[in-house]
Amino acid sequence: MTAASLLISELRSSLSDESARIALGFAASGDGRAAVAQRTLLIEDILRRLWHEFVSSNQQEPRGFTLAATGGFGRGWLFPYSDIDLLFLFSDRAAEEAHREEVRRFSQELWDLKLKLSPASRTVAECDHFDPNNTEFTISLLDCRFLLGDEQLYARLHDKIIPKLIVRESKALLQGLAEVTRERHGKFGHTVFHLEPNLKETPGGLRDCNVASWLALISAMSKLGDWPDASSLRAPVRKQLDSALEFLMGARCFLHFRYGRDDNSLSWESQDEAAARKIGISDSAELTAADWMRIYFGYARAVQRAVNQLMEEIPESWSALRRQFQGWRTRPSDPDFSVVDGLIFLQQSSSLNNPEMLLRLFHFMAHHGLKLSATTEHRIEQALPSLAVTPPRGAELWLYLQETLLQPHAAEALRAMHSLRLLTLLLPELKPIDSLVVRDFYHRFTVDEHSILAIESLHRLNQSKSEWDKRYAELLGELEDPELLYLALLLHDTGKGVPGANHVEASLEIASSCLDRLDVDPGERSTVLFLIASHLEMSAQLRRDIFNPETVAAFADKIGTPERLKMLCLLTYADIKAVNPEALTPWKAENVWQLYIGAANYLNRSADHRVHGDVNNEKLARLRSLAPVTGTKFKDFVEGFPERYLRVHSAEEVMRHMGMAEELGHDAIQVDLKRGRHWYELTLVTKDRPSLFATLTGVLAAWGMNIVKANAFSNEAGTVVDSLYFTDRFRTLELNLSEWQRFKESIAAVLSGKADLDKMLRDRQRAEKGLHVKVVVKSRIDFDNECSSTSTLLQVIAQDRPRLLHKITSCLSQQRCNIEIALIDTEGQMAIDTFYLTSKGKKLSAEVQSNVEKALLDELKNLELG
Amino acid sequence: MTKVEAVIQNSKLEAVKTALQEIGVEGMTVIEVRGHGRQKGHTEVYRGREYSVDLIPKTKLEVVLADAMVDKAVQAIMEAARTGKIGDGKIFLTKIDDAIRIRNDERGEGAL
Repeated sequence: MTAASLLISELRSSLSDESARIALGFAASGDGRAAVAQRTLLIEDILRRLWHEFVSSNQQEPRGFTLAATGGFGRGWLFPYSDIDLLFLFSDRAAEEAHREEVRRFSQELWDLKLKLSPASRTVAECDHFDPNNTEFTISLLDCRFLLGDEQLYARLHDKIIPKLIVRESKALLQGLAEVTRERHGKFGHTVFHLEPNLKETPGGLRDCNVASWLALISAMSKLGDWPDASSLRAPVRKQLDSALEFLMGARCFLHFRYGRDDNSLSWESQDEAAARKIGISDSAELTAADWMRIYFGYARAVQRAVNQLMEEIPESWSALRRQFQGWRTRPSDPDFSVVDGLIFLQQSSSLNNPEMLLRLFHFMAHHGLKLSATTEHRIEQALPSLAVTPPRGAELWLYLQETLLQPHAAEALRAMHSLRLLTLLLPELKPIDSLVVRDFYHRFTVDEHSILAIESLHRLNQSKSEWDKRYAELLGELEDPELLYLALLLHDTGKGVPGANHVEASLEIASSCLDRLDVDPGERSTVLFLIASHLEMSAQLRRDIFNPETVAAFADKIGTPERLKMLCLLTYADIKAVNPEALTPWKAENVWQLYIGAANYLNRSADHRVHGDVNNEKLARLRSLAPVTGTKFKDFVEGFPERYLRVHSAEEVMRHMGMAEELGHDAIQVDLKRGRHWYELTLVTKDRPSLFATLTGVLAAWGMNIVKANAFSNEAGTVVDSLYFTDRFRTLELNLSEWQRFKESIAAVLSGKADLDKMLRDRQRAEKGLHVKVVVKSRIDFDNECSSTSTLLQVIAQDRPRLLHKITSCLSQQRCNIEIALIDTEGQMAIDTFYLTSKGKKLSAEVQSNVEKALLDELKNLELG
Repeated sequence: MTKVEAVIQNSKLEAVKTALQEIGVEGMTVIEVRGHGRQKGHTEVYRGREYSVDLIPKTKLEVVLADAMVDKAVQAIMEAARTGKIGDGKIFLTKIDDAIRIRNDERGEGAL
């Protein structure tokens, strides 16, 4: 045996023995930092002996040839199965040529020892050259460390060439580093919250710890022109990164030893084992895998925040376009916040002692899509302890929260609040799902991130070019109270944090307590709870035959109203989309949409199913319990109303209508007017009479009101309950409180024949300018004689314009049609009006239908011509 | 060996899976597909716009079986997937030359 083969054999057994010793040491102590340091020493020793054998018996020789460690090896962190990054450095081409064979032999022996080598051979001149397409090599020099050979040559590289190179190329390096980092983050959806994260590559992982150090180092070197004496990271950031590193190093060593290879994926099985072995944790308490992952996410979140902040703080690294964009973003500064290079600063450092200011800050962030500066984050952290004593709650908190949820960048603001621990402070109901890993085959993110992602996917609908997304974006635009949908999404999976419980039931219980905290009004509360209770309903229907009318009818009956159906459809869409990027296949999107339009059409076509007061169902039982009157009064009132009436009105509203109906003996026309968040609501209760709805819509038109939605229903006894929701185009009611009374009196006067509607309408018409048409809507008239046993359904789609509803309903009256039910809706500039009509107590004959169609088309044409 | 491909109603997947498991079929591949046979499309008008579905969402199930199992499996699928209405789907049978288990090179029926 030659001396060389003897050495190799000796090295092989020493490598094997020492590696086993390091593994045993780690198994006993769990100390990752010690394990990587020991392995670094072990490999250095092997390199030294190989150098002695194959290159030079003198460690400081030969001249003109140096061996340096770079990358992780350069940092002295050699993980059990990581590559060994080596730089063969030469004084010039001649030296490289002269030592070519030695390098080959040296590398060959390392490969034969089954060590994975990542070698690079460069002359010093080549090291000085910056290649924008290979920023990695220049970055790797930041961690270089002398090992063997010509030390003077190394000193030239380290002390002269690298500092000059970094100063010269700092902009490009920072830009390149930020770009590859953002690209890598993008591959992971920019979130740390993966159920099975990759410890090295996922945002907040080990790679990001390095990126943070490199960014700080490059910035420091570009200012100093030399290597800094100490860490260039700010002390608080360094402290955070150090504790994260301690944990991540332990976890990565554990994974390497566990898999026996360079595999950094934290699979569910490895999470179980890491928790059982308390990897990276000094505490002795027992941990579940979910607890251990929570600790991991805590560190990862801190690392991600640090690296993102450092990337944001290097404006010189931005492209011209980005700078221009961020420059534009500096405009939204206000008296409390200023914006510099896309980062929000506080105008007064003490202002966060006021909780309202804190809430406004996140609203500002959600509105403008800006990030918080490091100092602002620091101030928030300082303000939290005093906020925790008396956190804001009730209507004030809900007001800010809903306004924030409605903003286009709500998800980013929620993430920032969550990352600063503010979100769980304000809504402790979210604590059980904080960084919670729930294992199922499809979900890719933790429960909290999934919920925020669902909210984000709805906000992104507007920018999407996908055909599917456009349909859903339209639905979102039609919602009356989208904030309730967002709140439902935030809370829909909170029950997953309750071990062993049915998650929907548990979520409902948790959401109830949250809604109490926010003091949400009863109607809104019931919508949020309905959405949470039904959040799996639509997905469940997809497993049935959604083209079967009975399936659709049963589903639609469960949902009840078009508004709730829209919300549930969007919630289902967002919930599926936030499971993983591929979860919403065109197949599923098609199915959800088909089920939605099937159910929406069913709800419009089945609106005349009548209520029977003596039937026992949940809603009627609740109404009976609320009814202040006994005997048959309640039954008589609800008898014969369409079921739709009970669905669109809350129990409290039905009680109010019944009260108004009881007053009809004193005053035959009962009018109630309220101002809602989006529009005014007018309720009319009276006895049915010819042209009632047409007259009522006429009065509103004469006052210049724009009817957005309306329902007209009547019961068996001929009591009519009409609800009209309108906007006050000329702010008549808003600016003149006295006009409220005059408006109500004018309705009563016209309905009782004491005032002349035609004259009022003529006066209004003279005062009005023409309509500005943004989107041309083609008129369309459809009859359906099948869907109701007693009425003919008419749907009119037309360009929305002043007096439209009055014109349509007057035309129907002239054609001697009686409006049994009216369902009026507006979508942008499109009016969608559905009427259940009878003529002489029967469905409309083909002849009447044809007359009505012709008359309506003429009327619409006249309106168009003005 | 025979490959059985069944295109069925989405709503019948659970029933078909159970029926196949009951007769001892262990593995299967399920794919979300869209298509139509004689059932053709489906058009729904919503707010004056027509939304037509030329290709109806269906579920396709693929399973490769030893020849002795094929008749039983076809019977089980037919019974579980049938409603008697248009759109119940179709079953296709193809002869398979060989099957290879990637993990251990096992071949033929043993690899199924």
